[in-house]
Amino acid sequence: MSLFLVVALPFLGALLPGILNRAGRTVCAGTTFAVSLTALVGLLSNLPALLRGEVIEARVDWLPALGMNMNLMMDGLGAFFACLILGIGLLIIAYARSYLSRDDNMGEFFTYLLLFQGAMVGIVLSDNILVLLVFWELTSLSSFLLIGYWKHLPEGRQGARMALTVTGMGGLAMIGGMLILGQIAGSYDLSVILQNRDLIQADPLYVPALILILLGCFTKSAQFPFHFWLPHAMAAPTPVSAYLHSATMVKAGIFLMARMWPVLSGTPEWFYIVTCAGLITMVLGAVIGLFKHDLKALLAFSTVSHLGLITMLLGTGTAFGAMAAVFHILNHATFKCALFMSAGIIDHEAHTRDIRRLGGLRHLMPVTFVIATIAALSMAGIPFFNGFLSKEMWLEEVSHTTLFGPDWLVPALATFGALFSAAYSFRYIGHVFLGKERHDYPAHPHDPPAGMWLPPAILTVLVVVIGVMPFLAEPAVRFVTSAVLGGTAELPHEHIALWHGVTPALIMSGIAVTGGLIALTLFTPLLKLWDATPRPEAKVVFDAVIAVFVGLARIVTQRLHNGAFTQYAGILTLAIIAAGGHAWLTGESTASTREAMPINMIAAAGWLMLIVATAFLVIQHRNRLLALILMAIIGLIVSVGFAYFSAPDLAMTQISVEVVTIVLLLLALNFLPDITPSESNMGKKVRDGIVALAGGAAAMGFTYHLLMRDFVAPSISEYHLANSYKGGGGTNVVNVILVDFRGFDTFGEIIVLGIAALVIFALTEALLGGKVRARLLNRVPDKPLSGDRHPLMMVILTRVMMPLVLMVGIYIFLRGHNLPGGGFIAGLIVAIALVMQYMASGFNWANERQRYPYHGIIGTGVLVAGLTGIGSWLTGNEFLTSAYGYFRIPPMEEFELATAALFDLGVFLAVLGAVMLSLESYSRLARRAHTPDSEFPMDIDPSRDDPKTVGKGA
Amino acid sequence: MIQADLNVILPEILLSVFAMLALVGAVYTEKDKLAPMLVWATSGLFIALAIWIGASGQGGTHVAFNGLYVDDAFSRFSKVVILLSAAAILLMSQDYMTRRGLLRFEYPVLVTLSVVGMMMMVSAGDLMSLYMGLELQSLALYVVASLRRDSVKSTEAGLKYFVLGALSSGLLLYGASLTYGFAGTTLFSGIIQTVKAGELSVGLLFGLVFLISGLAFKVSAVPFHMWTPDVYEGAPTPVTAFFATAPKVAAMGLFARMLHDAFGGAVGEWGQVVALISVLSMFLGAFAAIGQRNIKRLMAYSSIAHMGFALMGLAAGTELGVQAMLIYMTIYVTMNVGTFAFILSMERDGQPVTDIASLNMYSKKEPGRALAMLVLLFSLAGVPPLVGFFGKLYVLRAAYDAGFAWLAVAGVVASVIGAFYYLRIVFYMYFGDETDEGLDSGGSPMLWGFLMASAFVMVAGVVNLFGIEGAAAAAAATLVN
Repeated sequence: MSLFLVVALPFLGALLPGILNRAGRTVCAGTTFAVSLTALVGLLSNLPALLRGEVIEARVDWLPALGMNMNLMMDGLGAFFACLILGIGLLIIAYARSYLSRDDNMGEFFTYLLLFQGAMVGIVLSDNILVLLVFWELTSLSSFLLIGYWKHLPEGRQGARMALTVTGMGGLAMIGGMLILGQIAGSYDLSVILQNRDLIQADPLYVPALILILLGCFTKSAQFPFHFWLPHAMAAPTPVSAYLHSATMVKAGIFLMARMWPVLSGTPEWFYIVTCAGLITMVLGAVIGLFKHDLKALLAFSTVSHLGLITMLLGTGTAFGAMAAVFHILNHATFKCALFMSAGIIDHEAHTRDIRRLGGLRHLMPVTFVIATIAALSMAGIPFFNGFLSKEMWLEEVSHTTLFGPDWLVPALATFGALFSAAYSFRYIGHVFLGKERHDYPAHPHDPPAGMWLPPAILTVLVVVIGVMPFLAEPAVRFVTSAVLGGTAELPHEHIALWHGVTPALIMSGIAVTGGLIALTLFTPLLKLWDATPRPEAKVVFDAVIAVFVGLARIVTQRLHNGAFTQYAGILTLAIIAAGGHAWLTGESTASTREAMPINMIAAAGWLMLIVATAFLVIQHRNRLLALILMAIIGLIVSVGFAYFSAPDLAMTQISVEVVTIVLLLLALNFLPDITPSESNMGKKVRDGIVALAGGAAAMGFTYHLLMRDFVAPSISEYHLANSYKGGGGTNVVNVILVDFRGFDTFGEIIVLGIAALVIFALTEALLGGKVRARLLNRVPDKPLSGDRHPLMMVILTRVMMPLVLMVGIYIFLRGHNLPGGGFIAGLIVAIALVMQYMASGFNWANERQRYPYHGIIGTGVLVAGLTGIGSWLTGNEFLTSAYGYFRIPPMEEFELATAALFDLGVFLAVLGAVMLSLESYSRLARRAHTPDSEFPMDIDPSRDDPKTVGKGA
Repeated sequence: MIQADLNVILPEILLSVFAMLALVGAVYTEKDKLAPMLVWATSGLFIALAIWIGASGQGGTHVAFNGLYVDDAFSRFSKVVILLSAAAILLMSQDYMTRRGLLRFEYPVLVTLSVVGMMMMVSAGDLMSLYMGLELQSLALYVVASLRRDSVKSTEAGLKYFVLGALSSGLLLYGASLTYGFAGTTLFSGIIQTVKAGELSVGLLFGLVFLISGLAFKVSAVPFHMWTPDVYEGAPTPVTAFFATAPKVAAMGLFARMLHDAFGGAVGEWGQVVALISVLSMFLGAFAAIGQRNIKRLMAYSSIAHMGFALMGLAAGTELGVQAMLIYMTIYVTMNVGTFAFILSMERDGQPVTDIASLNMYSKKEPGRALAMLVLLFSLAGVPPLVGFFGKLYVLRAAYDAGFAWLAVAGVVASVIGAFYYLRIVFYMYFGDETDEGLDSGGSPMLWGFLMASAFVMVAGVVNLFGIEGAAAAAAATLVN
């Protein structure tokens, strides 16, 4: 049968139990059994070819671009594990059929079980390490579902959580290791990777890859310091514990270490990390296991301990160690699985797993007693049981292993661990089955139906058969070992036998068994001692570590993302400075190409004023009126600066914009408190000040750098200078750019300006129609109003000035094409003239004399500009192409007429309308806020002697 | 000439005209009563356009408006993802917003406008069109973020987003003008010639890093991410869902286009910068999310971390990198649509809930939804064999191949940290404490459909990623040369 089918069968079969759930429990279990059996048979059908020395392969492309292909391969190691998984799986299915109660959803359970089985088979048969990874995490996922199968048990939740966190994260870490490995070898196929031992071990990334892969293996196989999750996962149904946590899933890590053994082992890093972790786990697990009162917890720690033993054997990196490891994997799977099943039987029949409440079961449950005793004796390492053989081999290997100097250290520790290992095995027999029969079992225990005791019984038969006749198992072990070695080392010459003579291993073993018996007899004082010893509980440590991380994360987020805008802006500024600094340090700096201008008195004075005003603004920004005045000063100096640097156009624009905005802001200030409340303390001010200064300094330095150098030549201004008169008929380049070269932009801009003004208008309308109106009407100004709202002097002055300013506006407009000026500036100037009227003589008075609505003026402006543009279509040119000519109307001198001037008129109108409309809108708000406007343009009018009106409006 | 140009931008024109007509039409007729119909029409139009753009797959590369606008395989790929995800979010949001009186007719219109902006972004061939698309998108998003006008949190989020966004736009503009000043052109095709001709001058490099900083803000990469948690939390949930999907794809697409089309000759210069941003984002996103109790804030950090991964593909500076980034973003968007479908359906007594603790023992009440969410969360964590893993694998490989082994290893470590908080939600759902404060069961069938579909994709996509690999590879090939 193709390997694909072997792997796929459990997955496909996983659909069946769910569907057949209604058909009954036996059908459900039967189908699952049949599926597993078919897969096993399919696997075994490949055995002859395998024994002939072939490597069975099946390949199909999946995501070739990623190097991820569904390549399967079966060699001795893969076949060995696959047989274990499927074979024990069959027993577990049979066992679970009887174990699960009527209330449990059997279809769900078997679906998860088959999913898990498929994933496990996938791991051991993958040739592609990325595919292996996929199956690897799939076991985490399906095991999560299996552990969580009994959701109603509260203690199970914590266990499931820890199990998934630890193994899931380990698996993710392994992705990194696998990637590195694949990249070094140039392929993600194991068959290629395994050939590249020297290449991989010489690579500088070997150590990171090793650590990442071992993280995956250690977490999965519960090796120190990740050993703590396994015992807590024991709340799962016993079939799950027996299958996942003793026979298969926890061995996935071991499998991977064995699989990678040819390429990863043999280096000091591998030796120290793996051997130490294994040895520590072995001793730690054994010691803790002895003092656990929960049967399954005892077995769980013993599993941890035995996994450590196997890990250590793989870590030594010798061929003999590898053989011992393979043998112990087989033996451990048999006896531990049987033990778990017997624990499950006890739990099922006696309704408790607490050893302190059990004892004397040997007469009540004779069959179980025999099974459990044989398995436990094997676990203790008693001769004639298979555990003895592999334990001897381990001790043999131990006696040749040296860690950190002293020769005796490893053997001593190993013997110590083995002693406890024997002790808990004896305790399992002694405290559960031996002793006096009790009368207070939670339920009356008796032997279960055959469906439950037969599966462990089959395993114990294996335990004895291998234990007595090791030569039966030896060829298989050697075959698998040669697959592990992968040709990098010779198969060891030693044979597996019961008697090797009196070797150091036998002596250690003897000490361990004797010591184990003694330890059991001294169990009560030892337990007292154990309970009295303070020790770090791994679960507590795990929870504490998590809590620390959560706390740290909270602190970081609360400090960093505290919602304060200033902080965000500060971080943003610092990041930008850092980015600029990076560019500055890595870029190619060229020498400056320009001379600095000499500093004269005027420039220095202006510069000083700018700085003083700005600094003063920063200090006094809470006084809003003062801030506004200072802003005006700064704006003025900036416009003077433009004039100083020969940019009269900009200067004029700047100054008119400045006036308009200040007027607007003054209006807005009307509604605001005078003082900004103080919100930041001294520390924050200093912090923000430093950030601001750093940002300013960086900006200044960079600007200086840029100003001293030419940009890419030729600059675009050359083109405009050259073509302004020739193409646009004007000598004022700025204006020609606005109305001609970039006419389209300007057209867009005046539309935007118009829309903005309309939006302001619409918002004001909406505001005045809503709730705000009442608030505005009832608003009491926080300062007394000046008595003289429309002062005589100002009224007279503005009226006199009005025609003058209008004239200036027209002048500025007309000369715009050739000299500084133009529609934009003219529009602002005229707007200022009109605003003055509003301010001096009052809104009503001014509004009565305003005949054309400002909306209309904006619209006219846009229309005029647009039509000018369209006009050029009539002459066959593109939109907004300007034309100009020279005309002479006697008696005047010859003058120039350009269509651009018409366009400029549109700009003028739009700007005028927009500014006025927004001012009008604001003042409508202001007007409603106070007492009704006086009906007279002047509060004190000499030509009017109506005493009643005098002083009114205050 | 103009006809040909207009032909290239026909989808964008259609959308813009639709948005304007919808706006004017709704104003003069029934206003908000039209909103549900508009939502349907808008998503229908999105889907139709996505199919149209997707179907014209072998159309080659078209350049319009003298290089301002590029329509190639890359832009088409991104546009399809953008349009489909936007359509999905719109469909998901309708029920939620109607029931809370949030469904104004401006919402679909604004979304449409921002989608037009996004389509421009991924097609930009010039700094001008880049900026125009970006701002069109951003301005619409600023408004949408503060859609819930009566909520202080929502308006504050919108304001913060706006001010910081304006700051970053300014920075981007500064970078753009520096680039123009030192390259002499705003066209990407012109800039790349200057870049390839010689070393980068300080000015051009400044332009580059400022452009990167500005775009990093848009993809919410560390250290320009500060707005993300607040905006995600403050905005109405459908809007948050929108923020987490389409705009991210657009910004990432624009990022890739600018880096490769304009600065493709200087991979060495920006690779390191992008790698740094990437690693910071991954770690901050992974670490900060651990302490979150609010699922919307958690998703904010999650998206920061995911952007870090996508940037990892970009940092590689190779064709494989761009392909990886596109695949990553597509998968990310699909996962987020499903996750937000779930978050949108989190309600207690009809009120939206965002507290993670409310998910305690959710699996008992709603096993189907819990399972779908489990799949999505595992996929978000990048656990094999779900599709999220393939995205991670792609970017990791791309980074590794490009010589960023340290970045790949850092990415793995960050994903390990990040897995913790995704798994924590799973535990709450499956092994949490029994509480009375559970969520309502049931919910809108639309949300259920999106949740299930997304989860299904995460599982079924394992087979061949629905063939997006090839499309992404073709898209990457047009960009990197």
